[in-house]
Amino acid sequence: MTQGYLVLESGGIFKGNWLVGENAVGEVVFNTSHNGYEEIATDPSYYGQIMVMCAPQQGNYGVDKSFWESRSLWIRGFIALDIQRSPENSQWLDRLSENGVPAIDGLDTRKLVLALREGGTQVGAMVSATSAEQAKEKSVSLINQFKEQGNKDWANEVTRKEAQRVQGAKGSGPKVAVLDFGCKENILRELIKRTSEVMVYPARTSASEILKWNPDGVLLSNGPGDPENVEVAVDTIKELLGQKPIFGICMGHQLLGRALGGKTFKLKFGHRGANHPIKDLQSGEVFMTSQNHGYAIDQDSLSGNVEVTHRNLNDKTVSGIRSLPDRCFSVQFHPESHPGPRDADALFDQFVELMQS
Amino acid sequence: MPRIEKYKKVIILGSGPIVIGQACEFDYSGTQACKALVSEGLEVILVNSNPATIMTDPDIASRVYIEPLEKEFLEKIIAIEKPDAIIPTLGGQTALNLGLELDRTGILKKYNVEMIGATPEIIKSAEDREIFNQLLRQVGAKHTRSQMVREFKQGLQVAEEIGFPIILRPNYTLGGGGGGVAFSKEEYEGMLARALGESPTSEVLVEESILGWKEYELEVMRDSSGTFVVICSIENFDPCGVHTGDSITIAPQQTLSESEYQDMRDEARKILDAVGLECGGANIQFAVDPKTKKRVVIEMNPRVSRSSALASKATGFPIAKIAALLAIGYQLDEIQNDITKSTPSCYEPALDYVVTKIPRFAFEKFIGSKDELSTQMKSVGEVMSIGRTFKESFQKALCSQEFADGFTEVEFDKAMLSSPSSQRLYQVAQAFREGLELSEVERLTMINTWFLEQVRDIIVTEQKIAQNELSPELLLEAKRCGFSDIRVAQLKGTDSQSIRSLRKKEGILPGYLQVDTCAGEFASETPYFYSTYWSEPVAIPASDKRIVIIGSGPNRIGQGIEFDYCCVRGVKQLQKMGYEVVMINSNPETVSTDYDTSDQLYFEPLNTERVLDVLDVVNPKGVVLQLGGQTPLSLVHDLVAAGIPVLGSSMETIDIAEDRSRFSKVCEGIGFEVPVSGLASDARQASSCAELIGYPLICRPSYVLGGRRMEVIENQEELARYFSKYAADISPSTPCFMDQFLEGALEIDVDVVRGKDWSLIGGVIEHIEAAGVHSGDSMGVIPPQRLPSDLLQEIEKNCLALAEKLDVIGHLNVQLAVKDDHLYIIEANPRCSRTVPFLAKAANVPLVDLGIQAMMGVAATDLDLALYDWRKMNVVCVKGVVFPFKKFPEADSILGPEMKSTGESMGRGSDYSEALMKAFISSKVKLPENGEVFLSLREKDKKVLLPVAQNLVDLGFTLSGTSGTASFLYENGVDCIPVKKVHEGRPHCVDRIRSGRVDLVINTTSGREALEASFSIRRSCTDFAVPCITEDHAAEALMLAMNKKKSGLFEVYPLQQ
Repeated sequence: MTQGYLVLESGGIFKGNWLVGENAVGEVVFNTSHNGYEEIATDPSYYGQIMVMCAPQQGNYGVDKSFWESRSLWIRGFIALDIQRSPENSQWLDRLSENGVPAIDGLDTRKLVLALREGGTQVGAMVSATSAEQAKEKSVSLINQFKEQGNKDWANEVTRKEAQRVQGAKGSGPKVAVLDFGCKENILRELIKRTSEVMVYPARTSASEILKWNPDGVLLSNGPGDPENVEVAVDTIKELLGQKPIFGICMGHQLLGRALGGKTFKLKFGHRGANHPIKDLQSGEVFMTSQNHGYAIDQDSLSGNVEVTHRNLNDKTVSGIRSLPDRCFSVQFHPESHPGPRDADALFDQFVELMQS
Repeated sequence: MPRIEKYKKVIILGSGPIVIGQACEFDYSGTQACKALVSEGLEVILVNSNPATIMTDPDIASRVYIEPLEKEFLEKIIAIEKPDAIIPTLGGQTALNLGLELDRTGILKKYNVEMIGATPEIIKSAEDREIFNQLLRQVGAKHTRSQMVREFKQGLQVAEEIGFPIILRPNYTLGGGGGGVAFSKEEYEGMLARALGESPTSEVLVEESILGWKEYELEVMRDSSGTFVVICSIENFDPCGVHTGDSITIAPQQTLSESEYQDMRDEARKILDAVGLECGGANIQFAVDPKTKKRVVIEMNPRVSRSSALASKATGFPIAKIAALLAIGYQLDEIQNDITKSTPSCYEPALDYVVTKIPRFAFEKFIGSKDELSTQMKSVGEVMSIGRTFKESFQKALCSQEFADGFTEVEFDKAMLSSPSSQRLYQVAQAFREGLELSEVERLTMINTWFLEQVRDIIVTEQKIAQNELSPELLLEAKRCGFSDIRVAQLKGTDSQSIRSLRKKEGILPGYLQVDTCAGEFASETPYFYSTYWSEPVAIPASDKRIVIIGSGPNRIGQGIEFDYCCVRGVKQLQKMGYEVVMINSNPETVSTDYDTSDQLYFEPLNTERVLDVLDVVNPKGVVLQLGGQTPLSLVHDLVAAGIPVLGSSMETIDIAEDRSRFSKVCEGIGFEVPVSGLASDARQASSCAELIGYPLICRPSYVLGGRRMEVIENQEELARYFSKYAADISPSTPCFMDQFLEGALEIDVDVVRGKDWSLIGGVIEHIEAAGVHSGDSMGVIPPQRLPSDLLQEIEKNCLALAEKLDVIGHLNVQLAVKDDHLYIIEANPRCSRTVPFLAKAANVPLVDLGIQAMMGVAATDLDLALYDWRKMNVVCVKGVVFPFKKFPEADSILGPEMKSTGESMGRGSDYSEALMKAFISSKVKLPENGEVFLSLREKDKKVLLPVAQNLVDLGFTLSGTSGTASFLYENGVDCIPVKKVHEGRPHCVDRIRSGRVDLVINTTSGREALEASFSIRRSCTDFAVPCITEDHAAEALMLAMNKKKSGLFEVYPLQQ
């Protein structure tokens, strides 16, 4: 079998089996979810990233287009200890292959995860090579190219190019505008259940454009990359603040935080998984959440009317904020799950209530 | 919300003797809970009748009562202790049922004791099928079509409505006792009658079968503020139809899609809320139709369980400990994750490995029983293993069973694929060797495709190994696939040592990865490891204070929880002496495999390869082999050959003890006689052997297990007849064992500890049954009741002399028989014995601690040996035994030289009768207070048992008996109704027992024919839970106990006084 290597910018090199696809480069991140490889690969928030799955066996239960969280696969590469390929079922590998996503298995993912935990999220390259030396050589240029791109507005890469109208399931429900920074399909599914109409706008849509449609509220979606690099959105949100109820998720939460005057910072290796405990500071409830983020809001940067509503109990980072006067709230985690627990889906109801109040 | 302050003193109920369906997992959970609550400053009162447990060690709880887990004893304990609360959720079904009874009978109310962990209402709504099914419907969960049957006739009607196959589940039984799958009406009728008898409430749920569906289990927890977490998902390799305790299981689940899994998780949460479990742990079992994906809920247990122990070991999440803390008011986010020490306990463990559990069976012990798996649990233990992939994990688990080196080749029998058995697994692998298509194997076994693919991959790799040169790459591939060195050697026609050498030369060595609860996301300090060839070895800092203890592996009949007690106690003693202790074991049910028992835990198969691999890495100062029973001892040659320093007795000592002729020589001059024995492969050899041995003697063919065809031979004529009758079973390769039979001898168990300049008797246990019954199956008493004191002194003196002559350092267990003032030595084992924990608690001699001090070379001057004098004990303790005959309907319950009991109990009393009474009660022998006693006595016992019969009449019993017995009693002035023997026509004695008219049976027999004739008597007693005494001394003991019970004068005593 062809050898496949993952080379980290810090110099770490990991050898495994090259299964499908072409050499690739991206930010290397790990995810602790046991399941949901197809949901993860199609989540636009993973744009530009090489996904290392902590759970060793992937692809076991095949594929299903209904699991897709967007129109395509966004990950740059897929790495696990053992990826399913038998005469009966190699659907997941085929799907990666069809979508041009390279895959490596048989490498020591535990060691790799610990390296990422210790060394932090970093750029890495997946290359097929005959030796470690060759792999390093091939990687250097890939990694350099990737870094030279600089800080890009990744949300703008993955967002819809045009606004899209979706019929809601609830005739009497509110109208919701969604700012798509890389919106997961399940956010829309959750909204559709509760609303009469949903309009999904590209990431750089202006406030006036949105207000023209006169929605009852605005949802700021999840999305990839550094919130600092997202252009236009913070100004849009600032303008919408106070005019419309706003609910932010993940990137949407970080952007809302910035619009409210807060700052964001990069976490060492982020939170990616389906088992992160969050405490609702108002109700005292604790629930398991799905998470996927590399940045967080800096608590000390928040002021005025902004309250912290949720906290991550593992590292005590800010996981939810609100501003009552501005009728907005946001969470760092994913109430829409997919993958992960659905324990926080009541937040969508809360958003509907806010719009109807 | 922090701890509720009003709980200052709580009672924790244990689970009693080890039985099938309730094993040492409850020692693990109870011990964890006790430790957690004690460290919270609570006064913890522990009640358990099982002395072989760690939880009943005086160090674990504030006060320990080794007393029967029965209402009247608990009431006395509650009256003395006046606790604030009682936790019934940590001791399995036994504790749960007892808790319910204490509530129902008003005892809890009377003494103002609160039930915490689960309320009676919650227990009922989870355990009562009708209530539970109604709750399921409320939350939109599905369940199988079923109906509660309360009488036989109704049951027949229900079966017609549901259609076959049908599952029977008696209410409130443990391990699915009395349940099963019926495929036909005939089968169903028999099973229904049994099941109705088995359920304490005479209720049987008759249910639509979901045979062949995928089976899952979620281990969940909830705190009182509603935080809900799934600790572990478990998937069964065997599809529905096999009791989950008998199934091979995998964690985490492998074949559900994300949405299917989340649907299941959501449903579990709703069910927990509906049942109303406020806080604690529970497990919920599901079945999923692989075709339609339809999901049904099978059952829920609102308590810690066997699976929660497994889940704790599989994930590093200490469910029982957390459950105990939640019960006293804590919330999950207020409790730290023990493993990471940086994150809270409100999380769902993420695993970056695969865990396999394989149950261990004991069909060979129960001759006549069928190796068939169904909804009634039959396994006696289990192994767990961890690997990075399913294949690695699975093959390690196969090796952990200690009788397989992987997928051993077997003679292919296609028919075996379609009915679940303990051997089916090997047939599945063989099917792939034979070239069967996966689809066909799937059709026959109904095992999920994914699992079958994995097994097929293993066989493909096996063939690759066999057919190709063993390059380093191929060897690494084999190791990553979980192949043992032995298996690779078999495939290459070489020995395992050369594979080991090759591995070492090529640097193909296992890495040891941490079980850290979080798949590597957070740094973790807890040294809980498993081996894998998917990672490179990382050196561990050297230490000259490091000692390794090798555990005892899976529970089996003859080697169970008592050895885990020894290991755990050993760890603690070594730690006290300043050593760093490494534990190696493969049994997930145990305290020894709790990550906080030892300083380092390696969850590994206990075979030479894996043990040496660990030793290579940890590089200990010494290894302790004496604590884990026969398993570690059998490694001694390989370890010594590898240059490993073995602590205590040398290999030479161990060898001599095991070699009959060398051992006989050692015993010469000590004052012990060795029973004469011989081997004969034909009648001619037998008669010369018999001349040497003398009559009576015992004959048994060597390859027949379980004492079958064992006969006592009285003379030359009988010997000749025996050899002609069993000629087919006896040959030079399968000779017949012939042993001197010490008829009526008194058997004695002695445990000795010897140090470099000191030795000590731990205690002397006198068996209650006569010689011939395996020491593990015999009841015993300390201090001895019948042994004259001069003989006792001689025994002690001789045992110490034997220990010296054998040059024992550490433990020595000696089994003796006394007959006509002669002392016969039956065997000596230079290791901790089954009786060590019993003795430690009965006589208050910390035998394991002393053994460790002996092995570590502590001198007499540094010990206060005078403290440890078993003769100073001021109570009488009786060891009771528990048998699993109910689970093996075809097996005979007569006792013999093969051990059959699964567990033991202890009765502690101020006198012999009180101790006996408690031991019987704890062993679930009902002591009837009135009614009818049926007697069938062999000639020589009639006179002996006449006083017993008289006593029974005095107690108000009526007697019935076989004609011979009845007329003997009548002639001696005792009224007895004559009843027909089975072959004399109906209605006969078995009809009488089965009709429920008999409350106690005393049935002593000898000779094969009589044994066979009386089989149906014993079997009917087992089926109808009628105590059946088969030996005269036991009958006398039972009388003593019954008299005591009738008097009502008994007390309860804490261990710490």
